[in-house]
Amino acid sequence: MAAAALGWALRAARQVLPSPCTRQVRGYYVDWRMLRDVKRRKLAYEYADERLRINAIRKNTILPKELQEVADKEIADLPRDSCPTRIRNRCILTSRPRGVKRRWRLSRIVFRHFADHAQMSGIQRAMW
Amino acid sequence: MWSRVRGWGGAAGGSCRLAARLLAGPASGREVAGVARLQGRPHSKIQKLFSTSSLLSTEKDESTASKDSTTEAATKSREGTAETPKQKLLDLIGNMKVEVSYRKKLQELKTREIKNQATNKLEGPDSEGGMLQKTTEDTQRSRPLNPELVAAASAVASSLPLDKKQTESELIAQLRRHEETTDKQKKGGTINIRNVISEMAVKRQSPAQRGVRLSSRISLELDEDGQRIKLGRFSPQSSDSRRSLKVGRRLNIFAKASTETKDALKTVSSPTIWDLEFAKEVAAVTAQPPRNGFEEMIQWTKEGILWEFPIDNEAGMEDDAEFHEHIFLEKHLEDFPKQGPIRHFMELVICGLSKNPYLSVKQKIEHIEWFQKYFEEKKEYLQEI
Repeated sequence: MAAAALGWALRAARQVLPSPCTRQVRGYYVDWRMLRDVKRRKLAYEYADERLRINAIRKNTILPKELQEVADKEIADLPRDSCPTRIRNRCILTSRPRGVKRRWRLSRIVFRHFADHAQMSGIQRAMW
Repeated sequence: MWSRVRGWGGAAGGSCRLAARLLAGPASGREVAGVARLQGRPHSKIQKLFSTSSLLSTEKDESTASKDSTTEAATKSREGTAETPKQKLLDLIGNMKVEVSYRKKLQELKTREIKNQATNKLEGPDSEGGMLQKTTEDTQRSRPLNPELVAAASAVASSLPLDKKQTESELIAQLRRHEETTDKQKKGGTINIRNVISEMAVKRQSPAQRGVRLSSRISLELDEDGQRIKLGRFSPQSSDSRRSLKVGRRLNIFAKASTETKDALKTVSSPTIWDLEFAKEVAAVTAQPPRNGFEEMIQWTKEGILWEFPIDNEAGMEDDAEFHEHIFLEKHLEDFPKQGPIRHFMELVICGLSKNPYLSVKQKIEHIEWFQKYFEEKKEYLQEI
């Protein structure tokens, strides 16, 4: 979910869009760490099915243990970046790894900035 | 004549009566203005071209006709001039029929001439009419040289002051070659230039079309409504369309373009970078920025950014399978062993898949097949255990 969302949000880092859009398009990712995160997300999407199936064999009490050991080895052989646990939900504007609200995919500082300028729909300063 | 044609053009308002007027107009013009003038003009040129050769043909009918192609055309033109009263009637009926009927008339005339003259038998197959219809002439033509032709050749050789035997042998050789070519023509192998000439001749001899064309060039009068008379434009188009490109016999001048398909395949298989760039350029030029919010929303919807309202819960999901295909997946388990832990495992997998509403039937089948492949690969390993 997050992978797809980020992929959609950050469009065309290194590619030319097939259809020319007149909106602002970012030519680059915010930093290299964000780029690496994007790569990990892509790989994780590619290998998601295989990982699921091999894990289904591994986390099993019915199948013989030898088979499960073989499955362990197989999953370890897959590229390291295909693991979904390596994905970090960074802020999409600043690439901050911490303090990111999942709903808006923004770090707390950026979120506050936009909310104060009334650029976040439906967000209001809390007062009670 | 001009005034009459103009008046006719000016009065006509509806295109529905075009055809009738076209037929009626030239016919009336012809009747009143005088046949000879109308018919004489297009014919005069042809007659000038063929006048000398026609004289020749009358003199050396018997053998030299085989040598000269012009003489054959001359005979045709002679037959054509004799036919002009008949042609008038044919034009009245319809230009489409003129070609065919003209050839029919040619054939009839030829049959008559053959009875008179021996050498006309040669010209019969040469004319394009022979290709269309097989009359009694065809049966009269024999593969070996006609004895009459041979007699004619010998007569000519004797009349000439040169060496008799040599000329006679040469003439007979010519005749033989001619017979070969006629055979080829019958089969339709050689390109018949005479066909082209005859085709052209027929067209030039139609005064109706000529009159129409001339009238079209000149009549730029305006109607009462102030609109330009479109008859002038319509008539040449209609006359041309009556004799459209695909109607009529093929002249076999050009080889069939079978290379077109190859080229099309080639271009499809290798779109060059320049083509892509050009396509991108064109797209960039044509894609104007949206003028207002509505157009922006339309663009977004096309791109897929914005959902389509009212929201369709199954948008993007094109699963045409019935519920039983989702739930009853045991039929895919046929390749697995009936007993054992693997079967147990796969039954659990199937139970889970049947409860999964997010996958399509195809994806579920792929899932099961992956497991099948995996266990196939591990079979040797498993048997060791």
